[in-house]
Amino acid sequence: MKLVAFLATVDPNNCAGCRICSKVCPTLAITMVDKKPVVDSERCVACGNCEQRCESRAITLEKLEQTHVITVTVDDLPREQVDALCILAGFHPSQILCYCSATRAEEVAAAIIKGAHSPEEITLRTGLRSGCSVECIQPALRLLQAYGITPTPPTGGWQWYGLTPTLKEIPEAVKTKYQNHGFCFEEDLKLFESIVSSKRR
Amino acid sequence: MRSPMIPAPARLSQYGVAPQFVTKRAAEYPEMTSLMLSDLFDDTPTLIYPSEKGLLVIRDATRKALERVDMSMIKPHQSVNICASHHGFTMAGGHPYAEMLKTLHDVIAERTGCKNIRLRAGVGLRFRETEEYIKRFELDTYFGPHKAKGVAPIDEGIAIQTEIGTLYGIKAIYDADWIVHAHNSDVREVHFHRQVDRAVKPFGMSYARIETRSTYHQNLGPRGANFTARCIFASDFVQSKFAFASFLDMSPAGVVGVDADNDLFALNDRLTMKGCQYYGKIMTLLGEIDECIAVLDFPCPVPYVFAAGVIYANFVGANTDLFDIENTALPAYTWYTEAFYGKDGPLISGIAPVNPAIRMCVHNYAWGGYPSVFFAEHIPTIVVGAQQADSMSRDSQNVQYMQHALVAENTDAAMRFAYKAAKTDKVIIFDGAVGGVNLSRSLAELLVARAPAISRKVDEVLLPKWLHQRGIDPVAALGLVAG
Repeated sequence: MKLVAFLATVDPNNCAGCRICSKVCPTLAITMVDKKPVVDSERCVACGNCEQRCESRAITLEKLEQTHVITVTVDDLPREQVDALCILAGFHPSQILCYCSATRAEEVAAAIIKGAHSPEEITLRTGLRSGCSVECIQPALRLLQAYGITPTPPTGGWQWYGLTPTLKEIPEAVKTKYQNHGFCFEEDLKLFESIVSSKRR
Repeated sequence: MRSPMIPAPARLSQYGVAPQFVTKRAAEYPEMTSLMLSDLFDDTPTLIYPSEKGLLVIRDATRKALERVDMSMIKPHQSVNICASHHGFTMAGGHPYAEMLKTLHDVIAERTGCKNIRLRAGVGLRFRETEEYIKRFELDTYFGPHKAKGVAPIDEGIAIQTEIGTLYGIKAIYDADWIVHAHNSDVREVHFHRQVDRAVKPFGMSYARIETRSTYHQNLGPRGANFTARCIFASDFVQSKFAFASFLDMSPAGVVGVDADNDLFALNDRLTMKGCQYYGKIMTLLGEIDECIAVLDFPCPVPYVFAAGVIYANFVGANTDLFDIENTALPAYTWYTEAFYGKDGPLISGIAPVNPAIRMCVHNYAWGGYPSVFFAEHIPTIVVGAQQADSMSRDSQNVQYMQHALVAENTDAAMRFAYKAAKTDKVIIFDGAVGGVNLSRSLAELLVARAPAISRKVDEVLLPKWLHQRGIDPVAALGLVAG
């Protein structure tokens, strides 16, 4: 869930046309028209990535007169279906996946079931990755993978590159090699298992 | 009792409220005093900075540390990236770290004849933060036109093959023939890294892309996460570029020295041990506080404001032993802990609550730019000034912060309310005072009384356990100290 209260706004006179804003936008809200960025207000979730990386400082976040909330309802889906998808991806349904928007796994799972089949669409519908935009790309990709979807990174963009390993995939040889270094792989695996199997909400 | 120390001044930044809105500092109150780390612990290490000699000691210490480093791999026609991270610029005013970077530039140029020496400064979640530091410390001028650059985790990436699979670094970090890892040893985010591979961490964090950082904070677990940096650093790709590392050696009181090595893991063992020693005592002592009002009063994000060299995020978890990696699986605050709070509380039993000693938080001056809602959600929080409240609400990482915090018109009103509501006169001020802590007299008396017993406990019980858990033999690690 994300309250969107700002909109990225471009000053074309200051823009150098470098396209970086369009490469870092997590919802693909920015397209280049005549070498200048154009922001689709329907897709902007006010993460600020474009404003933060614009080398010409041509982008600002302007307060919206009318704020809006982006969220996906979970309750209109079969609970078992949502839970099963979360658990298959290694998450408890009530687990928070985005520390900025407090979006939980069940909401992302619901978004995927309802047709959000890329990280960009997940962000647009749930607000995941709309804050710092750094820490929660892997949960999005893991849930998509669990649903049988292998999305393709946006062409020419830097939004994301790919899935990375999880704790379950650490090779035994690596665990053995570093068993005395304090990484506690097995203990953390058990912790994850206890979270995923928890009946609490 | 001493007078309070002068806190770090408010600073203009796009991530916080403008300095003109910071009209009063908590250290100004007559009931406040200060304690130096050396007042608490006899074995507080000797500092080289702050000192009367100023930054020259940092330059001299860096040059001396580099004498034992091999730079012969760097050829005159090649390029070198000195890789830095944002946190170093927040310590002791930032000047020591900037001076170490400048000295690195000079010594590399002198010894290798290399002219193409660049600065690549990584960040956390405030993507322009090091751009601000580069300007402030005139590193752009020092390194030359287009040589000093702030880099962010959403910048163009590069795939790195590791022994657990593909991870991703920031392309600009690695766009030179050689990289020099320039960092600091402050334990800082020990709730995350648990003092495991602390010296290596930037390879999985400030030098890394979002995919890698997400791996750390979502995929590998609260302790397993620390393998992220090691496997990237140990990759053939990074090893083919790594020249050496240079660290500002920190204690909670200030800069102890500069350490440098071609062997990052040897350096890591030394700094891990010192970090447990230097920070273990004060962090354990702060865990003895039974009740207090915490005042945030420093120009950086909420979790990073610091007192006695310890950041607020660690004080929030001071009711657990953050260095005990076996018995404290989840500190009271880490992102994994935050993730594992369901709608009705923790998803499993055994998750420690946030430090119950913090009865109230007065957010007098601290920035956004880091997801901090958890703190306001779990600790009654008063934010000083409507402008600061608005600044938090404008931050995409803290849109909901003010849904859990109240606003006071000014510092006086906030403190009055806090005293009444918290029903304690013990106050600890996270204002970055160098060398010690500003605090109320009542709290100072408690810390002074408890410090000797805590010092003995750390020396005799905790430190041996912490080092054993990390596979570090203190004798062997000390034996690696050259010179």
